[in-house]
Amino acid sequence: MAIERGNVIIVERGRRKERLPGSGLLEGMAVVWRHWQGSFRKNRSFSQIHGTFTLEYPEERPKLPEAYRNMPILLYDEETGHELCTSCFQCQRICPPQVIHMTQAKDPATGKPVPAVAEFVIEYDACMSCGFCAEVCPFDAIKMDHEFELSTADHGSLTVAKEQLNRPIGYYERIAPTMWAEVREQALKKLQGNIKRRPGVLGMAPNLAEKIAARLRELATTAPVEAAPTTPPGPSAPAGRLSPEEKAARLAAIRARNDAAPADAPPPPAPAGARDGHGEPAPSDVPPAVNPADAKAARLAAIRARNAARAQEQAPPEPPAPPASRARTDEPEG
Amino acid sequence: MPSGCCALCIEMLKTEELQINIGPQHPSTHGVFRMIVTVDGETITDLKPVFGYLHRNHEQIAEQNTYLQNMPYTDRLDYFNSMANNHAYAMAVERLAGIEVPERAEYIRVLMVELTRILNHAGALGFLINDMGMWQTQLAFGMREREKILDLFEAASGARLMCNYFRFGGVARDLPPDFVPKLKELLVAMPAFVDELERLLRENEILMQRAEGIGILPRDLALAYSVTGPVLRGSGVPYDVRKAEPYSVYDRFNFDVPVGSVGDVYDRFLVRIEEMRQSKRIIEQIIEQLPDAQGGHINPKARQNVRPPVGDAYARIESPKGELGFYLVSDGSTRPYRYKVRAPSFINLTPLGDMCRGYKVADVVVILGSIDIVMGEVDR
Repeated sequence: MAIERGNVIIVERGRRKERLPGSGLLEGMAVVWRHWQGSFRKNRSFSQIHGTFTLEYPEERPKLPEAYRNMPILLYDEETGHELCTSCFQCQRICPPQVIHMTQAKDPATGKPVPAVAEFVIEYDACMSCGFCAEVCPFDAIKMDHEFELSTADHGSLTVAKEQLNRPIGYYERIAPTMWAEVREQALKKLQGNIKRRPGVLGMAPNLAEKIAARLRELATTAPVEAAPTTPPGPSAPAGRLSPEEKAARLAAIRARNDAAPADAPPPPAPAGARDGHGEPAPSDVPPAVNPADAKAARLAAIRARNAARAQEQAPPEPPAPPASRARTDEPEG
Repeated sequence: MPSGCCALCIEMLKTEELQINIGPQHPSTHGVFRMIVTVDGETITDLKPVFGYLHRNHEQIAEQNTYLQNMPYTDRLDYFNSMANNHAYAMAVERLAGIEVPERAEYIRVLMVELTRILNHAGALGFLINDMGMWQTQLAFGMREREKILDLFEAASGARLMCNYFRFGGVARDLPPDFVPKLKELLVAMPAFVDELERLLRENEILMQRAEGIGILPRDLALAYSVTGPVLRGSGVPYDVRKAEPYSVYDRFNFDVPVGSVGDVYDRFLVRIEEMRQSKRIIEQIIEQLPDAQGGHINPKARQNVRPPVGDAYARIESPKGELGFYLVSDGSTRPYRYKVRAPSFINLTPLGDMCRGYKVADVVVILGSIDIVMGEVDR
């Protein structure tokens, strides 16, 4: 067979010169001996083949390249307190194993969708770290984290909600400075545009309690009508870990709602109803008057503390749907 | 049949053939792979390879996904060579949808696939020696070189193994600024590594006894089984897709095709060593030509959501293990109507019975190691 730009070469099989029996073994041992000698010094140069290339792992950390990707995270802007995500569903659509789930925030006054995300869940345990979500995100809200020590004995904790996914922009800027510098300007410009379309405290990172409180105070001075629930957001939503059942129920609720996908403002699920495993908010499941002595109420209190910030978003008193108003009435107690 | 004084005794003894199972859970089967071996004493009279233990519905899943969503799944076929798998799949979709690839992107692609070939052969030879009983020594040296290449992959694509680097119309991002300097450093080490590998093993008496004349796959049989890659070239057929049907920019590089003369384990071993040298030659030419290449790393017109016209396309590349092909049928929607993988490991494994017949049980693992299979690709 004729070959262009190259030859067919038949590999040389025989011994290249006459040798004493066993000399091939001895020569091989000399190679191993040189490696053993080299193993006493460290070497990181790619041009060398002798020396140790390993790291004393827990003490010595590998220097990860900027492009390294492990698991997706969500960014928020520390200055304004707003999340970059607008729930455009691009990442949810592209995700090959379909592990991203989200719901869009709705203006509680009008019921119209707002460019902000209400709930956002990623199943880390099934994520294949392909990085498509970060690639398609038009708002640069979802990025790939460098954290790789995620092993845990608690499988349920790998279904991660927005509270644990949120990272400040500064964090991402630290791990990937040039990659952020490339997109920084357009990302912040788009964020400014989106903030204008977000009423109240919608779209604010729930762990920035002071920012949310400040915003609420500001709203109270400008528009006193909207300022009915001026209670500060309680115990500042410590981003506590959800129990596995809670996460599963939350996920099921999001899925069910997205499957139904009615355009006319589906009510956000009452956390209590979802947690009980009914999958959809059933108002009868929520105790209307909470008795503090009740054991169930004690469990609810923990969830309410976490949800306090989010419930603030549904603050205005006009009830668009009964469960939403119920969520609001629950909130001051938490 | 034994001869001499034993012959009389054996005639008087009643003997029968014994069927034994090697695998599916066996450390030398490179995954979950089962061989039903019929032995007469120590000699193999028949061997049936049984696979399917790692079947995970890859092709069916791919028909449920959009074209782009399949890209990370192809990483998981032959997890040693994710870049090569990406390349074949991207080429198939580009052929189907008529997407142009800029010159620079083609160079980056070929660079990545040639690096993949070096790391695959460094690993495969290590595992072959491991199977022979020289436990881990060569494997550790090979893995060291492989790790350096994986560092480069990580810097470019973000991941070491599941690179997911190729996109329709190019690659996901351009090479980082420190990539080429590091690659040049690596190329300094590469001849030293290959020469050392030859010094360590090529004339090693033990390796020659285990490899010379073992597992002979004659030329005609290799062609009849449509074996490809180093196994076919080891049998003396100078067939290389890069030369037979130059795809991408392979027609611009000078490189040789090494072939064996006998077709035994030793020939496959030597062919792989020589292929690493040739890959290094190609990479040197890429570094020379890359700065002059036109276009960016990706075709700006290529869209993520491809919707190819009705039709079908087959694209094949010379993956480190052989000819890897993707056959796609489009019905005009965003998902492939049919998605078929021509996996080299799978087809190279089929003549295993003929290669092993007549040899000893201990040779089976060596012959299997010399084929260089990855079960993720065999079973899909």
